[in-house]
Amino acid sequence: MQEEITEELKNKIIEYLKTVSKAKNKEVARAIDADKHIVDKAIAELSKEGKIEYIYLGASFIKLKED
Amino acid sequence: MGRTDIGPPDYKDMLPPVIKKNYGKWKFHETIRPGVLRHVSESGDELYTVRAGSPRLLSIDFVRDICDVADKYCDGYLRFTSRYNIEFMTDKKANVDALIEELKRLGLPVGGTGNAISNIVHTQGWIHCHSAATDASGLVKAIMDELYDYFTSMKLPAYVRIAVACCINMCGAVHCSDLAIVGVHRKPPKVDHEKVLAQCEIPTIIQSCPTGAIRRHPDPNVKSVVVREDLCMYCANCFTVCPAMPLADPEGDGVAIYAGGKVSNARKPPMFSRMVVPYLPNNPPRWPEVVDIIKKIVEVYASNAKKYERMGEWIERIGWEKFFKLTGIPFTEQHIDDFTHAVETYRTTTQFKW
Amino acid sequence: MSDETPLLDELEKGPWPSYVTQIKRAAKKKKAAKDLLGIQELSYKDRITHWKHGGIVGVTGYGSGVIGRYCDQPEKFPDAAQFHTMRINHPAGWFYNTKSLREICDTWEQYGSGLTNFHGSTGDIILLGTTTDNLQPCFDALTEKGFDLGGSGSALRTISGCVGQARCEWANFDTLNLVYDLTMEFQDEIHRPRWPYKFKIKASGCPNDCVAAIARADFTIIGTWRDSLRIDQAAIRNYVDNGFEIKTLIVDKCPSGALEWDDKSKELKLNAEDCVRCMHCINKMPKAIRPGVDTGATILVGGKAPIIKGAYLSWVLVPFIKVEPPYEEIKGLLRKIWDFWDENGRTRERLAELIERVGLKNFLKEIGVPPMPQMVYKPRANPYVYF
Repeated sequence: MQEEITEELKNKIIEYLKTVSKAKNKEVARAIDADKHIVDKAIAELSKEGKIEYIYLGASFIKLKED
Repeated sequence: MGRTDIGPPDYKDMLPPVIKKNYGKWKFHETIRPGVLRHVSESGDELYTVRAGSPRLLSIDFVRDICDVADKYCDGYLRFTSRYNIEFMTDKKANVDALIEELKRLGLPVGGTGNAISNIVHTQGWIHCHSAATDASGLVKAIMDELYDYFTSMKLPAYVRIAVACCINMCGAVHCSDLAIVGVHRKPPKVDHEKVLAQCEIPTIIQSCPTGAIRRHPDPNVKSVVVREDLCMYCANCFTVCPAMPLADPEGDGVAIYAGGKVSNARKPPMFSRMVVPYLPNNPPRWPEVVDIIKKIVEVYASNAKKYERMGEWIERIGWEKFFKLTGIPFTEQHIDDFTHAVETYRTTTQFKW
Repeated sequence: MSDETPLLDELEKGPWPSYVTQIKRAAKKKKAAKDLLGIQELSYKDRITHWKHGGIVGVTGYGSGVIGRYCDQPEKFPDAAQFHTMRINHPAGWFYNTKSLREICDTWEQYGSGLTNFHGSTGDIILLGTTTDNLQPCFDALTEKGFDLGGSGSALRTISGCVGQARCEWANFDTLNLVYDLTMEFQDEIHRPRWPYKFKIKASGCPNDCVAAIARADFTIIGTWRDSLRIDQAAIRNYVDNGFEIKTLIVDKCPSGALEWDDKSKELKLNAEDCVRCMHCINKMPKAIRPGVDTGATILVGGKAPIIKGAYLSWVLVPFIKVEPPYEEIKGLLRKIWDFWDENGRTRERLAELIERVGLKNFLKEIGVPPMPQMVYKPRANPYVYF
């Protein structure tokens, strides 16, 4: 039932994060119109690849990693 | 940066060989003496478990001590129960007496099985918590000293589960225990207006209050809140979301006692514990008032309940009016519920006792 | 300041093992433990806590697993001014080999106060008291040894379960395997809080519910069976011949009157249709009565402590489900529940409170579970129905 985590999906997430200062996982899923659980997994992979980072301000957010 | 999201170790690497071999094949068990279980497998293999009480708060050198015992008698494995007991398991019956001796030397009581009072499940209290209305570890130590014989024997009608929570957040959910001791406040929060402005969000504070007792400060120049003291029932939910609303107070704080809860489905379905004492003062280091009343309830239960009857089943059978009479605990206006679902507790029958 | 602790010393008396003795033992090696003793003594004198709200501290990439804690008297107790807790996810069933336990001790000797809880209310190993600077190196050292942090905050909390088939003949499914499998599947949900509030999962292998899953978990899995009890009549007779009062202690206590003792044939007769699988007869005659063989679990939802709208026991959502790897049905149900709660829950609203607010009927519709009479004690009495 689950879709694959594709490079295309990851790119969509990165592109979206370029337009905001920070976002919650579910906001990302809504913005790019993708299944939330797949987005959660893609975000975890992007974090491991060092492309995004998690920040915690009461709730969890993600943002692009600054070099 | 190290590895992340590796999860806990695989439990399969933590199982003693006799358990690995007989996993899912256990046929029956029996308690051969207080604190000692014997499990028998379909394969005929036997497993002996010696259960010891612990103070939960452990120094690492003590943990090394119990590792030494496990290395010597249990092939280097041990486990903990959900009530902080330490279980030493061996397939050699000959090891049991030696294990008990060794545990005695470490100052650990062997017991907590069958119709006993096992270790008290509890929270951090003054050891580590910002919202504690009482201590937990010290209260537990004082109570277990008094109930020690019930841990090392199996003479009660059924087992009695006791729990301590140092505030009504009830980390560990004590609300379904045979006896529950809960830290309570009795004074409303003292609002620190400057701190509210610096550290808190006013809508969040207002929303946090289950009785609507918190309003914006009437002076629009003061960016803070006020508390309607007649509506406050001291739950401290506002303090959880805003550190500028402390409720802790040496004179106001203390403990309440609840009785008759259970989680097991055996015979009667699970039930909540009910208030039996609304307030007793914090009287460290040994909380004599609390210890006395807990002991009294246990003794009245022990001499009145039928065999296998849990505290709550006994109270339900004899009726709460009889419980208060037998224990001599006064029934007060605080015992009558006025929170959510209160009406469910009002008696709608002419059936009662004197 | 004085090293004397006259109030705490009182708690070294008496037969029950003393936690004060444990702190003193750690204090011989660790200044933080020594200051903790001082803080505790002060609390005993003042009858009030001396800990402040935690700030946001943690390890890189995680939003949970560390509880920040600061003393309100940092000048007096500089070595416990920062006294953060690390929650370490336990191996399912709380089994350990001593090698792993010693590795935790060694790491905590290097980076912390030397004080621990085995275990905390969440089921985690609690490493009690370290500084902000030590958090990351301590975490890195722990992961080297195969341990990871548990949950805290508005996240999936550390999942726990009873001893199960490892050492219990009554486990109707493999609790340890389920706990481990779900824990590994939902690492992201455990480590990165993003929900309205906390969410707890606990699993008990039988209706005795030794880990109090029904009272403590939003998602409660309790083992049960669908077919008949297994009764060994020879073993029953053995109990009776040894003086066991089967009539008063078993038959009369059966909550649904499903058992009968035939004194002539010396047989315990069961009307299997009437049995509600409460465990009483099995508990008291373990050598003679056992659960059936068509085993699985009941899923219940909503259990929680009183904050904020009062305490709840979990109620039945799925009366019977098979519990077998890879547990896709249970995982799917969890994801649907989380989606619904995440979309509709208010801040600090637990699942039970949300369901009460929107109605169980709507909740069932949203997650696609059909209504069944086993979900309620009785149908409604009022006529106010939405069609």
